Parts: sequence; structure tokens; C-alpha cells
Amino acid sequence: MINLLFFGRLGDLAQNVDHSIVYDGQLRTPKELVHELEVAHPRLVAALREPQVLVSVNKMVVKWDHPLFDGDEIAFLPPVTGG
Amino acid sequence: MSINIHVQHEDFDLASEYTSLRSRTSKIGAVVTFTGLVRDFERLHDDPTSGQNLHTLTLEHYPGMTERLIAEIVDEALQRWSAFGVTVIHRVGCLRPNEQIVFVGVTSEHRENAFKIAEFVMDYLKTKATFWKKVDLNGQQQWIMAKHSDTKAAAKWTEDSDE
Repeated sequence: MINLLFFGRLGDLAQNVDHSIVYDGQLRTPKELVHELEVAHPRLVAALREPQVLVSVNKMVVKWDHPLFDGDEIAFLPPVTGG
Repeated sequence: MSINIHVQHEDFDLASEYTSLRSRTSKIGAVVTFTGLVRDFERLHDDPTSGQNLHTLTLEHYPGMTERLIAEIVDEALQRWSAFGVTVIHRVGCLRPNEQIVFVGVTSEHRENAFKIAEFVMDYLKTKATFWKKVDLNGQQQWIMAKHSDTKAAAKWTEDSDE
């Protein structure tokens, strides 16, 4: 399984998205995952593609072409607003 | 050197944090503490005129990643300036105006380092740590946008090579 997490306003847009994907052995990247969501969730995908959005794999920020493996936790992070 | 980082729902007590920071060594010459409170209004965008009355503020974070990122910020500060102890507390969950939201406490030999570390940690907490604020403005919920002024505040630490 690959688990997906959406934070901030991305979480609101991702309410109807399946947050776990069966890993089929095929090597993918966060960029490809986003592409696969496009038809069913165009508003979410538009927000995910905003340039300030970062992606992390297993809690480390990575590039969008980072390879994904079974058991990975992918999180989509909009600009942070703590403090 | 002792570092304490807490992301928690519960409120914190300033006096006990101060006492705890002070008690770690007898060589301390300065204690700097910063406490951030929830304001009674919030600007939804980077526009000083757009403030609206706040009902509640809800903080979401990424457990595990947030604590690690705060630890990295503190480590980076300690590579620049020396200190005896650093405590960072950041609250999450639903908060009301005037509640305590964030605490940074630093002890060092002299005040300069403690002031610098506290300011550095706060600037980077706002721009690097995985927290997201949602406001309820009289029943209307909205996520807060990142502020340009916060990004600028953090950027000053990379510009000043003599810091």
C-alpha cells in the first residue's frame, strides 16, 4: 500500500479521494500519482500543482520525480502557516 | 546542552518552563523567552486592511515531521550561536483569541545569543515547520495564506553573512 496525506486546504479538497493505493509493483512518482487523480479530482489536482506545494515521502521533502515503493507515505504540503 | 521540543494540545505554564530552563546549569547568564498569543483578528491574505474578527483558530500539523523539522531549526540555530538550553512548545488543535500558541525559551551565557536563537527559531517556525492554521471568522472557515512578511523575516538570516 501507498498512503496519501493531504494537509491544510488540500485536505478539504481531497475528502473524496482514496487515501490508500494498492501498490501494484509498478514504479511511480508523486508527479504520476497526481496525474492519475486528474480526471476524477480536477480541483484537487489544480491545487496540488501550484508551485508552492511541496511533496514528502516518509516525512522527507522530495522532488516530484522521486521513486515510490510499497509502504511509502506520501504527503502533500501547502505553504506552512505556524508560529 | 538540553533541547526540549513539544507539539501539544495542552496549554503551557510560562513560570514552570522558565524554572525548568534555569535549573539546568548554574552557568546561565541570560534567559530569553518568547510567547506567541492568538490574536483576536486574522488577516486572510497579505493585506493589512483585511483583518476580521476571529472566533477560533485551529492548528493542524504533520505529526513526526513537525517535531523533526523543529529539531532541525534548533540545530541550525545552535550551529550559529551557543546556548545551554532551548525549549520549543507549539500548540495544535482549536484555540481561542488570547490563548498561548507558541513558546520559545533559550538560556545562554550572555543575552545576545539567547535573543538571536529565539528570533531565528521563531522566524523559521513560521516558514519551515509543518503547521497549518484554519480560522473561523463568525462561522466562516478558511485556511490562512502564508504571509510574505514571514518569508522575508526568515530570509534575513541567509542574507546577513556576518550574523
